[in-house]
Amino acid sequence: MAALKYLLIKEVKQFKANPFLPRLAVVFPLMVMLVMPWIATMDVKDVNLSVVDQDRSSTSEKLIKQIEASHYFHLKTLNITYEEALVEVEKGKSDLIMQIPQGMERDWVNGQPVEIFIAANAVNSTKGSMGSGYLNNIISDFSTELSRQKGEVAAFPVKLSTQFLYNSHLNYRYFMVPALLIVILIALCGFLPTFNIVTEKENGTIEQINVTPVGKGEFIASKLIFYGVLGLFIFTVAFFIGKSVYHIAPYGNIGVIYAGAVLFLLFMAAIGLFISNFSITLQQAVFTMFFFMMTFMLLSGIFTPINSMVTWAQYFTYILPPRYFVNIMRSVCLKGSGFADLWFDFLMLFIFMAIMSVIAVVTYRKQQ
Amino acid sequence: MAAIQTNQLVKTFNAGKVSAVNGISLTVEAGELFGIIGPDGAGKTTLFRLLTTLLKPDSGSATIDGLDMVKDYKQIRSRVGYMPGRFSLYPDLTVIENLSFYASVFGTTIQQKYELIKDIYCRLEPFADRKAGKLSGGMKQKLALCCALIHAPSVLFLDEPTTGVDPSSRREFWDMLAKLKTHGITILVSTAYMDEASRCNRLAMMNNGRFIGIGTPQTIVNEFDKTLLAIRGDEMYRLLNDVRNIEGIEECYTFGDVHHIRLQKDTNLKMTDIEQILVHQYHHTNVKMEPCQPTMEDCFMNASKKER
Repeated sequence: MAALKYLLIKEVKQFKANPFLPRLAVVFPLMVMLVMPWIATMDVKDVNLSVVDQDRSSTSEKLIKQIEASHYFHLKTLNITYEEALVEVEKGKSDLIMQIPQGMERDWVNGQPVEIFIAANAVNSTKGSMGSGYLNNIISDFSTELSRQKGEVAAFPVKLSTQFLYNSHLNYRYFMVPALLIVILIALCGFLPTFNIVTEKENGTIEQINVTPVGKGEFIASKLIFYGVLGLFIFTVAFFIGKSVYHIAPYGNIGVIYAGAVLFLLFMAAIGLFISNFSITLQQAVFTMFFFMMTFMLLSGIFTPINSMVTWAQYFTYILPPRYFVNIMRSVCLKGSGFADLWFDFLMLFIFMAIMSVIAVVTYRKQQ
Repeated sequence: MAAIQTNQLVKTFNAGKVSAVNGISLTVEAGELFGIIGPDGAGKTTLFRLLTTLLKPDSGSATIDGLDMVKDYKQIRSRVGYMPGRFSLYPDLTVIENLSFYASVFGTTIQQKYELIKDIYCRLEPFADRKAGKLSGGMKQKLALCCALIHAPSVLFLDEPTTGVDPSSRREFWDMLAKLKTHGITILVSTAYMDEASRCNRLAMMNNGRFIGIGTPQTIVNEFDKTLLAIRGDEMYRLLNDVRNIEGIEECYTFGDVHHIRLQKDTNLKMTDIEQILVHQYHHTNVKMEPCQPTMEDCFMNASKKER
């Protein structure tokens, strides 16, 4: 195993000699952790609203004032007709239309039911549904308030109160930051060693190594150890950025996160090795890796919750190991879960890691 | 004991459709400088990759230093040096980093083996801190040879080491090989340049995965048993085609600024007959013809014609 030491020294030298990689290794986690969480957010703010007020009463005015007071909406236009408002939507100037019918105040006073019509532009479906949801809440609060002022008891005398557990302010960044930590691991521990091995193939340097007494295990171990340590180091930096800037994992045990991270990076390294075994050119490896990355990113619950997928896709996620690591990361960072709560995810992650490693090692042959 | 001994080596690709090495039997004695000449695609590189244990043969066997190429591949790897046709050192490491890396994976140091590489390395020394990828072709070749030699191998495989190198560097390179031979290293070298063949102790001519002739440069030339003529005229291209049409001529091909004509073995065709035909039947002017000594290339052309 003496050669392993020299192979590692060689990796370090090559990494340092690269004009680009060491810088990227610093910029990448900073960019991902400090910039992305502020941009990639699903929080809906600044919904543009067109109001068609056909009642023009003091009640309708009060309602509009109340909507304006919330920080979710920008009152864009006050239109006479619904058609006019629709043109605004078509131009992309507004996202929601609220139509207050003629005689609203009168009906209200007479105790008649009132219908307020809301139309939402669902091209951006999140904005549409969330926006109309917020609007609903404001209107129902408003009507309750109105009834109370009239001295009436609300028709439905139950007050709903919701408490958001683990993320009390529904801060989307709490959801995103653990996911971004996973993206960092995928990129560093999956991509870099794969591309490095395929580059050695393309340059023919792997062949020169193969006629030396260096064993296949040593060669691969040198890649895994180097990029594994590099990956963990950058993961650590990113994690502490997440902790200090976004205050994730206030209760979580860091040991649990690292145990998951090590299992996951071994899995990514194994899949990377597997791909490099079948790739002759870098182009091929990049494309294959990208396919896996897209699958992992979009189907493992990294950015979109698994619960909202169609049922068959939810079953499919069980064969995607990142799913388990995503769950581990979120549970630890947001709920402070420990090994006892997450044993299933750890077990599955371990099984997939073991299977993938065996496949990778078997397909890696030194002698053709 | 022979340094390299192969017995009916066969290697095919694409599920047997392409046979790159087709039954090669070869014995190279220890300390010999053995050349393999042949055109691109002859199977030289595949043969080298088999002998350096990078490929497994479909059938046949080979021993290097008495070690079996399949069973003892690990031991073989610490005894042979291989310089592939394509530059395959780390382009992003410096000259000295590459050299000390290869020394260390073989469990040695540059200092320990300096004696062996001294003559070659001294030319590289001014560039010790330059990235290997930034070296000139000749310098890359010297570095690759140093890296292949750093563990003092008993057998050295050089796959087309002089391809793409200028003529003076080529000559220099063969001088270095001659010097290495004095250290008792067995060298197997392939080349597509026929003129380099005379620098080998023995050589084999390879075509389509087979050896079509084997011997010392002298015996190969001596075995040329036909009449060889050099011809020139005013219209060289038309001349080539017309000569090929003459009965009794086995082959005519361009050779530098003349054409070489090889007569069939049992023909009665005379030089004057050919001239008559060319001047009177084909109206060539200024036709000059003279007998010439066969070179290695003529021998190769002759042998590959026989093969077909």
